[in-house]
Amino acid sequence: MPWHAEPDFWSWVLVSLLGGLTGVDAVSWPQVMVSRPIVSATIGGAVMGRPAAGLLAGALLELLALRHQPFGAARYPDTGPAGVVAGAAYAASGGGGAAALATAAVMGWALGWIGARTVHVQRAVSGHLLADVEVLAAEPRRLERRQRLAVGLDFARGALLGATFLVPAVLAVRLVPAAHGAGGAAAAAALAAAAGAGAGASVGALGRARGRWWLLAAGAALGGLTVWGLA
Amino acid sequence: MRPGRRDFARALVRTLGAQGTWNYRSYTAGGLTYALLPLLHRIHAGDPVAFRAAVERHLRPFNAHPYLIPLAVGALARLEHEREEPGRIERFRTALSSSLGAVGDRLVWQAWRPFCLLLAILGFSLGLGPWAAVLLFLIPYNAGHVTLRVWGLRRGWSAGLRVGAVVSGSGLRRMARWLTAADLLLLGTVAVTLADRLADGALPAWTGAAAGAAAAAAGASWPGLVGASAAALVVVGALAAWIPR
Repeated sequence: MPWHAEPDFWSWVLVSLLGGLTGVDAVSWPQVMVSRPIVSATIGGAVMGRPAAGLLAGALLELLALRHQPFGAARYPDTGPAGVVAGAAYAASGGGGAAALATAAVMGWALGWIGARTVHVQRAVSGHLLADVEVLAAEPRRLERRQRLAVGLDFARGALLGATFLVPAVLAVRLVPAAHGAGGAAAAAALAAAAGAGAGASVGALGRARGRWWLLAAGAALGGLTVWGLA
Repeated sequence: MRPGRRDFARALVRTLGAQGTWNYRSYTAGGLTYALLPLLHRIHAGDPVAFRAAVERHLRPFNAHPYLIPLAVGALARLEHEREEPGRIERFRTALSSSLGAVGDRLVWQAWRPFCLLLAILGFSLGLGPWAAVLLFLIPYNAGHVTLRVWGLRRGWSAGLRVGAVVSGSGLRRMARWLTAADLLLLGTVAVTLADRLADGALPAWTGAAAGAAAAAAGASWPGLVGASAAALVVVGALAAWIPR
């Protein structure tokens, strides 16, 4: 039973709140990884009544994001609000084809990197909140308040991203004509290649395991067998 | 005074927000101190000067993997409880900072998280329902996550200064190596099965799977170039809809 088959005011409110929740989860609290695209996009899709559509967008975004690891002060896409918006936008396309999925993923990917810029600002603000070490040491309650304030600001940041980008993303996906024939095939081929390229490019980000080429090739062969078995 | 179970429980819950005030100046120091406060209140009860000095000490720059912050919290609280000399606590903090960051990144971000994510994507591309796939990621991932936090706090408190030996002998590095091998196997499988699913119905059988496998091989060979191109390919997919019939 869909909650909202069509985007309306309440689905916009819900997406905004989910943007906040998934935005805050990535770094600030509690890091249970509802911010990963396969979760956030599924939830976004569910808001529009189609969680499976959301997950398809999330799985594609996940393979694009996997090579960006959060080591130290590295910049990486903020996938929480991005996933919610991409999942909701694709689900709102009414089961559109590969081109609609690609458009939702493009919107999500762009929002992910815009989100990364806002995370940078958030970190600068947090630096100011903790600048006066002596005052905070003299009054630890102030440290506790500032910790909560920083988490609250991060939530607001994610919510604002969700609120701002849902409508443009839904409109962009709905503008895409239903692609048939060569257009549909080209879109599907591009997405299949993008998923493979994203997966392959993640190999280096997973560390330098011995025999990694053989393992990847063995995995691909296993995938081929699986596809053959399911056909 | 020795902290009680309730103090440890409060500290553990607070470590969930260890990166709440992450910043480029002191990194996770704010979150670390925030988590330490319930323990420091108990340890330095009745000695406001020692308490204040401890808070000030822990607000100095510190960075570690967020899931291993409880290990640091436990070990640092133990040192405070044993009234270690401040200079020694600071040197210990510095040593802990780099080693916990490297081990955590290697185990959690590079190995455990991709393993659970890829397992869920594989499940989905093989026909698992959306919520089942999401739970296939969230439940095992967070079982490992919470276990690591609880283990870290307990072992940190019991080991104190010997926490480095605990990390070295815990098998975490070996576990990360095995998980990475499994990740690579899963990555190859998912590249083919998800590509096949994305091409389902729009392309002849096997075309999507073959495109996925070929692109994965290219991506593994030239990660910088092909990795960046993956996003460009999605843009191409979006524009393909405008190809006239």
